[in-house]
Amino acid sequence: MLVEAVEKVSSGREDPKERVHRYLEEIEERDEDINAVTYVNDDAPEEVSDEGRLAGAAILVKANINVEGMPCDCASRTLKGYRAPYDATVVKRLRREGAAILGLANMDEFAAGSSGETSCHGPTDNPRCPGRIPGGSSSGSAAAVAAGFCDAALGTDTGGSIRNPASHCGVVGFKPTYGLVPRQGLIDLAMSFDQIGPIARTVRDAALVLEVIAGPSEEAEGTLRRTEVPRYSELLDPDEVRHLRVGLVEEFLEVSEPEIAEVAKEAAKALESAGAEVEVVSVGRKLVDLALPTYYIINYVEFFSATRRFDGRRYGRRIEHVCGREVLRRIVAGAAISRQEARGKYYERALRARSWIRSKLLEVLEEYDVLIGPTVPKPPHRLGEELTVREMYEYDVLTVIPNLAGCPAGTVPFDTIRVDGDEVPCGVQVIGRPWEDLTVLNAMAALEDAARFEP
Amino acid sequence: MPKVRIGFEVHVQLDTESKLFCRCPTDYEEAEPNENTCPICTGMPGAKPLPPNREALLTALEIAYMLGCKPVIGKQLYFQRKHYDYPDLPSGYQRTSTPIAVDGELDGVRIREIHVEEDPGRWDPSTGRVDYNRSGIPLIEIVTEPDMSSPEEARDFLRRLLQVLRYSGKVKGDGGIRVDANVSVEGGARVEIKNINSIKGVYRALKFEIQRQLNLLKHGKEVRRETRAYREDQGTTVPMRAKETAEDYRYIPDPDIPPFEITEDMWEEAVARAPEPPHKRAERLVEEYGISKEAAEALVTEREWADFFEEVAQKAPDDWEIEFIDQWVRKELKKILNKKELSFREAKIEPEDLIELMKLVREGKVTRQNALNALWEAVDSDKSPVEVIEEEGLLRVSDEEKLAEVVEEVIEENPQAVKDYKSGKEEAIHYLMGQVMRKTRGKADPDVTMKLLRERLGEPGED
Repeated sequence: MLVEAVEKVSSGREDPKERVHRYLEEIEERDEDINAVTYVNDDAPEEVSDEGRLAGAAILVKANINVEGMPCDCASRTLKGYRAPYDATVVKRLRREGAAILGLANMDEFAAGSSGETSCHGPTDNPRCPGRIPGGSSSGSAAAVAAGFCDAALGTDTGGSIRNPASHCGVVGFKPTYGLVPRQGLIDLAMSFDQIGPIARTVRDAALVLEVIAGPSEEAEGTLRRTEVPRYSELLDPDEVRHLRVGLVEEFLEVSEPEIAEVAKEAAKALESAGAEVEVVSVGRKLVDLALPTYYIINYVEFFSATRRFDGRRYGRRIEHVCGREVLRRIVAGAAISRQEARGKYYERALRARSWIRSKLLEVLEEYDVLIGPTVPKPPHRLGEELTVREMYEYDVLTVIPNLAGCPAGTVPFDTIRVDGDEVPCGVQVIGRPWEDLTVLNAMAALEDAARFEP
Repeated sequence: MPKVRIGFEVHVQLDTESKLFCRCPTDYEEAEPNENTCPICTGMPGAKPLPPNREALLTALEIAYMLGCKPVIGKQLYFQRKHYDYPDLPSGYQRTSTPIAVDGELDGVRIREIHVEEDPGRWDPSTGRVDYNRSGIPLIEIVTEPDMSSPEEARDFLRRLLQVLRYSGKVKGDGGIRVDANVSVEGGARVEIKNINSIKGVYRALKFEIQRQLNLLKHGKEVRRETRAYREDQGTTVPMRAKETAEDYRYIPDPDIPPFEITEDMWEEAVARAPEPPHKRAERLVEEYGISKEAAEALVTEREWADFFEEVAQKAPDDWEIEFIDQWVRKELKKILNKKELSFREAKIEPEDLIELMKLVREGKVTRQNALNALWEAVDSDKSPVEVIEEEGLLRVSDEEKLAEVVEEVIEENPQAVKDYKSGKEEAIHYLMGQVMRKTRGKADPDVTMKLLRERLGEPGED
């Protein structure tokens, strides 16, 4: 695990170069089948340090985050051949604490997907149940962590893109409070939701990466609070759940497949056994029903706006000419929705719905310290299986809710379920109040201790 | 003649150190193409704006105050994305704020609102090259109500506006402006003329456009609502392509910039920093100092000139007449600066220096001509005019004994003139006077000299 590895490297008991090199060999040997990595940094062993909070760490970065000198294509033909001219703030921070950037992780094109199948570099396989999707859009990040290609990976989460693949791949994924981690250097999907976060094998590893990348930068861009970031990995304490009021959300169970709902109920029981006060709580069916349309309308409009720079004048090709179907759908829909005469009908209503959802969720969170439920309401489909747009979007129904409210949320692999003879990992989602990321991590750690999931 | 209504949208660059959403410097005129750029102002993938440059907001508020606007306080303001596709626009949208101030007035023209925007880059269609040095420089847009009724009135307003903007000391360069004008003639629709770059251009465009609309109406044709472009080479306006006018900017609040508020404190800070606007100042100068309206209007054309005047007026002894001060500050000193092509900002003279000089003139210790000569020397040197006078020994000689010696010399050297005088040619005494002046390099007190000459020569025609 990362936390232990850092300790070994810092105390001179392990050679950082060697361990980074071992990861490169793993990727070399096994990624051909998985396709989690789109670019390998052969210099990584030279770039790792034996000092810092991430001494010796090998981190994979999602391909929509700028890493100077490396390709930065968002897995799209639009940016084919484009190399990042600068380091994203999170990348600078990883390097400053001694980590090496191992390479880039595959993803859904422009992070606009939930299956990991829409990359111009080809789909990623799920290392935990080969032949099924790893989930998306941080498909490569989650698959690489599951396959043991790196210590941890950075993903990005707009409507579930960290939690969804983490749940399908049986790893830990955390979406921080909106505005906790600087976005400088992250290529946009929908700016008012986008957040960078860690995917790791343990909650403590995720907490360690988070404490390094989080917090306002010198420039204060893309972060909303100028408070100091606590050392989550040191403060992390699963026993803290004894003081927590936990709400198991009724509607989250209702919209999920029974086996998946069952896993979440088991998780709730486990927290109760660990000393938490657990109740079944309702957020109202309206909130869950409004979540997807609200999320997608805003996502379309912001994505349309964000992609106007890809006009074919500066970077490769004009996006509409070379992108995949889902990206094109969002651009076309975003253009239509934001038309002057349609604004009031869709976009402005969606903004109002978002405010309503946020205040409704925060109201429930006044009663409960955290809410739990399934991360993804249905199991991953088989690679290549044709889904309707609606079916695809349904993967996101539970993960978009914290994004709409700006809340921190994470997923922990809790158990496996049987799907057509395959044993598929199944995560449980924890949602907390904005800026109370540590409380969410504590509840996740307690779930991790009680989990039946065996990697 | 049918009633004409004219209104403006005026864009002007603010003279801040750095750009609106990044720290790049704004001196694009001197820089090599694309030297003052970074991932933010070139809209590189993943680049996020820094929080809006506070200095730009404060400056915009200062100008808003000078134009008599009320700040929009206690309301969430946004930067919006205005989308359009053009080579000079690196992100495909321009960021433009919701109004920061409203309801102003200048010379009887109502100011509807003022907001802040970022400038796009510069595209050269002939080479296809784009220079992003300008991209991200803060602009303000000033929107007026259609309160002007002739091209002349419109021109006067723009001159006054430009004066106020320059006066603020916070607009860029030579105070260049970009104007969109809207004009309608009674009985016709409103027509917008885009992108006019000078006051002269606005005047010509309006002249042409009003005539065009009048002609249409005269022949019973309709004036359609449309957007036209000004053709500077021809002095005409031409319709813009439908595609350019049918544009839908798809405004959305920029999700990368949190909503902001203008606080009472910010407004107070801006008001404290803002100079008094020139039109208000002119009124006050008339009232407070009792100078003519014409004099006041002249003084306020240059902020430092009016400053200089006020400082002299305040520091000068109480018994000096305002006409005396007006004479020296507004006329004599300004004439010299004009000849030397210096502005008051550039001139190396302090109000105290001029007061010292004026004191010598008043006390008769230096002649007016020598005072002006000293001033001429002093305005672009490190010496004060009084230092120049002392160095060159230009203090007036009124010591009778000393002057009597010179008078004696002149009489001895000019027997012919003396003879002429004595034979009744009174003017000859002026020649002798001139000789005394020449010998004293103009320092001789003319009254004392004349008295001595008369004593020495007696009445003309005595012989």
